Amino acid sequence: MADSDKPENADKEPKSMQGSSEEQPPEPREDATAPNPKLEPTEQDEPEEAARRDAPLVADGHSGHDSHGHGLAHTMPIWMLVSVLAALMGLTILTVSVTSFDLGSQGNLVVAMVIATIKAALVVTFFMHLFWDKKFHLILFMTALLFVVLFLAMSITDRGEYQRNIDLYQSTTSTTPSK
Amino acid sequence: MSESTSQSATTAAQKGGHGAPAPAHGGHDAHGAHGGHGGPHLAHHFDTYQQQFDAGKLGIWLFLLTEVLFFSGLFCAYTVYRGMHPEVFVYAHYFLNTTMGAINTCVLLISSLTAAWSVRNAQLAQRKLLVLNIVITIACACTFMVVKFFEYEHKFHDGLLPGPAFHPTEQVWELESFKHKHPEAAEYAEKLTKAAEEKDKAKAAPVAVAAGSTVAPETGVFEKPTEEQIEPLIKAGVIGPMAEDPTRPSKPRNAHVFFGIYFFMTGLHGIHVLGGIGVFIWLLLRANKGEFGPKYFGPIDYAALYWHLVDLIWIYLFPLLYLIH
Repeated sequence: MADSDKPENADKEPKSMQGSSEEQPPEPREDATAPNPKLEPTEQDEPEEAARRDAPLVADGHSGHDSHGHGLAHTMPIWMLVSVLAALMGLTILTVSVTSFDLGSQGNLVVAMVIATIKAALVVTFFMHLFWDKKFHLILFMTALLFVVLFLAMSITDRGEYQRNIDLYQSTTSTTPSK
Repeated sequence: MSESTSQSATTAAQKGGHGAPAPAHGGHDAHGAHGGHGGPHLAHHFDTYQQQFDAGKLGIWLFLLTEVLFFSGLFCAYTVYRGMHPEVFVYAHYFLNTTMGAINTCVLLISSLTAAWSVRNAQLAQRKLLVLNIVITIACACTFMVVKFFEYEHKFHDGLLPGPAFHPTEQVWELESFKHKHPEAAEYAEKLTKAAEEKDKAKAAPVAVAAGSTVAPETGVFEKPTEEQIEPLIKAGVIGPMAEDPTRPSKPRNAHVFFGIYFFMTGLHGIHVLGGIGVFIWLLLRANKGEFGPKYFGPIDYAALYWHLVDLIWIYLFPLLYLIH
């Protein structure tokens, strides 16, 4: 936000200055607080004024994580994208090769799911740039995951409840000499 | 699109006096289409590009939530069924081609990179790179579907279909993937099968009806099998209590359910990939016209987010379906 927003702020300042805001001159250095004094006066005069001032690329307070100043959202550097892909590829190779080892009854499944979750976290954090995104989107996504976990957890515990019936069914319908 | 474009243009004109913002836009824009006032891509019901972008972003995230929950139903089916019948999954995974699955994983990961990169290109108004990255994304998606097609074709050919259509043409111990992993068990299963067939012949002859027909082959014919011979077979439900046919090596009961789950999960995922291809073709046409820039890259960003979610789901599907131990 810092670097390239300032020139734009500077462009607009003459306009917003007419309204009020004596705090403006010392403000621009602080990213987080800068937009607020600007917004207050605009709301007082006319909504269109506010629109005009927000119109340029200035990210406002809540989404102001933009470190490169390319406007509406964070821009991912290429090296980061490529290294994330490299990590994902490495983890894919790892998860394939780990299947040739026996890690106990549930061990392999757990390892595979842990690796998949790391990969998913990489994709969500970097490719989906959730790290730089509004926290609200993170909350939304986590809420969905929470409900998935609830859904699966309930179903698994419920399945455990009637395992006895399944075993009974298996043993009565199977013609195999039982163990 | 054109309607909203003209409307936004008039809105901008009505507002007039856009002195300050306009030059700021022009300075950032590489292509003229976005210059001037509000810009042709600011829908009339939004005040600012930021507002437009944020609204779209919230929308796509909400859509992704529904997608996550949508797929979670199938993941739930998978989890419950695998919990109840692990032998079915062990049995069926020998039929899946891990190499193809791994290739598809890599292809999707690469397409995810290019999708993420194309967002950057749009933000920086790098039109040529943007077009190139979208083309690569589409190409990877098509590669994925082609590989998927061959996998499906193979399954169809081998009778590995859900429900009553499930008639595998090969027994699991005859598969290369099984023989490679458990050579001794494969041999043992072969021996058992032969023994059972001989017994059938004997049964068919009227004299031999009386004796030994209910004796399970593993107890009757051979010396005690070793752990290596018998364990993979029991785990895959080929013999033992879960087997369909008690007299000879067969397949686990209800093995077709795995292929129901398999086709539903990969099929639904494949439909999403097809949808993604459609969206990216549309974006390719628009990108080619130079419609995207620093203030208007929302569609690219949203499509990329969707694409990453499709990738995300595959990241879980791949180990769950192909890498069963």
